[in-house]
Amino acid sequence: MPGREAPVNRVVPTLAVTALVTWLWLPLGSIAPNRIVPGDAYLLAQAVGWSLAMVSCLPLLGLLAVAWRPTRSGYRVALALTLLLLAALPFWLALMAQQHLDPELPQARVGIGAAWWLMLFWLSLLLIELRTRLALAGWRLALSLVPVLAGWWLAGKGLESLALRQELAGREEAFGEALVQHLLLVGGAVGMSLLLGAAIALAMRQSPRVERLGFALLNFLQTIPSLALFGLLLAPLAWLSARFDWLSALGVSGIGWAPAFLALLGYSLLPMVRNTFVALSGVEPGVLEAARGMGMSRGQVFRQVRLPLALPVVLEGVRITTVQAIGLTAVAALIGAGGLGTFIFQGLGQAAMDLVLLGALPILAMALAVDALLGALTRRLDHRAGQTTGTIE
Amino acid sequence: MIELKSVTKRFGSETAVDAISLTVNRGELCALVGTSGCGKSTTLRMINRLIEHDGGEIHIDGRPIREFDGRVLRRRIGYAIQSTGLFPHWSVARNIGLVPRLLKWPAARVTERVEELMALLGLPVEQFADKYPAQLSGGQAQRVGVARALAADPDILLMDEPFGALDPITREGLQVELRDLQARLQKTIVFVTHDMDEALALADRLVVMKAGRIVQQGRPLELLRAPADAFVASLLGGDDRGLKEAAITPVVERMRPLSPRLLPQARIAREATLHQALAMMFRERVERLAVVDDEDMPVGEISLRGIVGAGLSEGRDR
Amino acid sequence: MIARCLKRWVAPLTWLVLLLVLATGGEWLEPLLRWSEPEARRVLYPQADLLTLLLRHLQVVTIASSLAVVVGVGAAILVTRPAGRDFLPLVAQVASMGQTFPPVAVLALAVPVLGFGTWPIIVALLLYGLLPIVRNTLAGLEGLDPGVEEAARGMGMGAAQRLWQVELPLAAPVILAGIRTSVTVNIATAALGATVGASNLGAPIIAGIVNGNTAYILQGALLIGLLALAVDSFFAHLMRTDQ
Repeated sequence: MPGREAPVNRVVPTLAVTALVTWLWLPLGSIAPNRIVPGDAYLLAQAVGWSLAMVSCLPLLGLLAVAWRPTRSGYRVALALTLLLLAALPFWLALMAQQHLDPELPQARVGIGAAWWLMLFWLSLLLIELRTRLALAGWRLALSLVPVLAGWWLAGKGLESLALRQELAGREEAFGEALVQHLLLVGGAVGMSLLLGAAIALAMRQSPRVERLGFALLNFLQTIPSLALFGLLLAPLAWLSARFDWLSALGVSGIGWAPAFLALLGYSLLPMVRNTFVALSGVEPGVLEAARGMGMSRGQVFRQVRLPLALPVVLEGVRITTVQAIGLTAVAALIGAGGLGTFIFQGLGQAAMDLVLLGALPILAMALAVDALLGALTRRLDHRAGQTTGTIE
Repeated sequence: MIELKSVTKRFGSETAVDAISLTVNRGELCALVGTSGCGKSTTLRMINRLIEHDGGEIHIDGRPIREFDGRVLRRRIGYAIQSTGLFPHWSVARNIGLVPRLLKWPAARVTERVEELMALLGLPVEQFADKYPAQLSGGQAQRVGVARALAADPDILLMDEPFGALDPITREGLQVELRDLQARLQKTIVFVTHDMDEALALADRLVVMKAGRIVQQGRPLELLRAPADAFVASLLGGDDRGLKEAAITPVVERMRPLSPRLLPQARIAREATLHQALAMMFRERVERLAVVDDEDMPVGEISLRGIVGAGLSEGRDR
Repeated sequence: MIARCLKRWVAPLTWLVLLLVLATGGEWLEPLLRWSEPEARRVLYPQADLLTLLLRHLQVVTIASSLAVVVGVGAAILVTRPAGRDFLPLVAQVASMGQTFPPVAVLALAVPVLGFGTWPIIVALLLYGLLPIVRNTLAGLEGLDPGVEEAARGMGMGAAQRLWQVELPLAAPVILAGIRTSVTVNIATAALGATVGASNLGAPIIAGIVNGNTAYILQGALLIGLLALAVDSFFAHLMRTDQ
């Protein structure tokens, strides 16, 4: 086309070149004869041979070419290439395992190396970038990830020797239990904080003094580091459960779910109360004035106007709180509350990094999933309120 | 009919509205004007009991408003405000149907009424009914606001700077529409504004307020010709008052029958204002204009002397 | 005037004094701690004295946070300049998505890559601490009234002058709030570093949990809590004087 040329996109080539460098010059993975001995690291070329290594770089070069003249269809090609690279990721590990794993050693295992993790990271960044450029809706992105996951599932069959899977193999039951426990603690704390938080926010709206006091207290609580708060709750709860039989009968003790739940609740209250309060107070006065001016009763104004308008912001609070609680519950494992954090700290204690991953990866996935789901729900509700639709003159 | 009898409102030690008396007759459009903080919005809100008055009495159709339940009263009185106060989470149709639903009209009747109002205010149903307020332009939102105020067919309409946030062109358009609407519907309207041109253009009765009191009230022309004091004079435009008067006087009032003299080339519509006629003379550098009707047929003529009214006080033009 | 100025310092100073008293109190805190753990053989954390742990904790947080401020504010400035604008959407999205990552998970993931000890913790804290700073700096710089920017340009200010004299001062409160969040989170996360072999204020807590000694836990927990409160109220003070 004459005259008008799309500006060169510098983000995609930057990411592609960085990915290329780390992919080729950092270890793809390692192979260890058993759990204790550190493994031998393999670069990509050593792991799968030069010719295949070169093949694996072709899509990255394709990305460079696309970025030179970025058009909408060009970005679509780039997205396809990125998804292809993502889907192929586990196959390189499987190839490495196939070529270098000693079949004589049943304990031998494949560790994932820096090149692999970084490639995953760069590709995620590419996905985010391309999604923004293409203005792709969330569900379309999720849909495009389905073939990637299918690819991973397929590759998983050839990766029984992956250290992560071997760690899981011995602990399937414990893993399931920890997962359930984690979810229960998070769900309980968030649910409880939603009820309590709403009540506190309503009380705060009644009196400015309660408002000041409440926020001061909750801010104070939020500032105290989680490890310290868990620790500080240990002593009084231990004392209480020793004094009152019914408490210990309930399972309350210094160690375990009780201090974890209390601390989680305390931390969850601030974001919940803050968002609920702001949501209820932040409704535009003109709207409320009009509602009253039209002859709506107090109850009608609250139920039909204030509450629905506040809902997206309240949901935002639930999202922040849940994501935060997922992370904090991991810390709670230190005081015996169970959950996925158990694997993290066990792994750190035994210097078994794959066990750490077994705990950390699901936590991460959980946090991201909750963030995405609740975020999408909030946007949907907001869309109904028309705030994302923009003005059409 | 709305009657205010020495109505007073105090906020703490401050008197916002100080013993004002005012009668707005059925079918009249009464504009409350004054500087900000003069109590005009407070006065308006006391009429539908969004604010309760402390002293005096407010009567609607002869009955004191305290006899009504506040909510019932407000459902009987239309209310439109500057920020439109449209509910952002409701569609246009649902917003307009608010009061009828509050009054428990059957659903079919509500729908019918909503469509009727949308047609009345020039909002095509298929295009706008399902839109949300954030998708509307300022002028469209304001129309929806007015439609909502009219929904339950109230006799009385209270409007608090309903066109305040709009650009001049949209505002003028809506003013014209409101005037047409009023000619057809004959509501009793109390209208708060700080735009003097708007007040002069719309009002049957102009009420000037200052520091909680009514300084002067009457027909716009009366106030323009005989302002009670310097405050009213300056509020009404100071030295520009003459031009404002010209802006609300139609050409027909100063038109003379066609004279045997040569018909002037420049022509002006019968509905135009003297202000527009002056502007035309200025532009065309002439002293006389032919006045024409809708079919462009000359019906009379108007001269510069006629416009400035020299002939009125001195007797006949020579 | 002076009285009001002093009053603002009361909260941070109180926490600081309490912190120092507890850290250096040593022997004469023993009876108090004994009360919480009457049967234990010892109630004072024996591995290192609390002041050393406090200083190590502060050291790690200070290094990580200072680096995070330099890198974070720098990166946000870069991507809001015309030359770096290409990267703005990506950086903004990563900064907000990254905060979804739980600090524990970040710390735990840093260990396999970087190994045990102090440096991995500093790197993990730096990475995690970057996010709120980048996010807030971006919000501050992007949220400026376009009228101000235009006026500055219209008066003939250069790009650098606009940045230093208009954009950064106006965005300062938001940036400072980001730094405050970052430092608060870092203090908490650094304590978790004790589980990956760092010796700081988290160590007594971990030791206490492992040995079932509440007195150790109390010492660590109180000190971390006081440290967090002192630093946080210091920031609160800064932000108030800023306005």
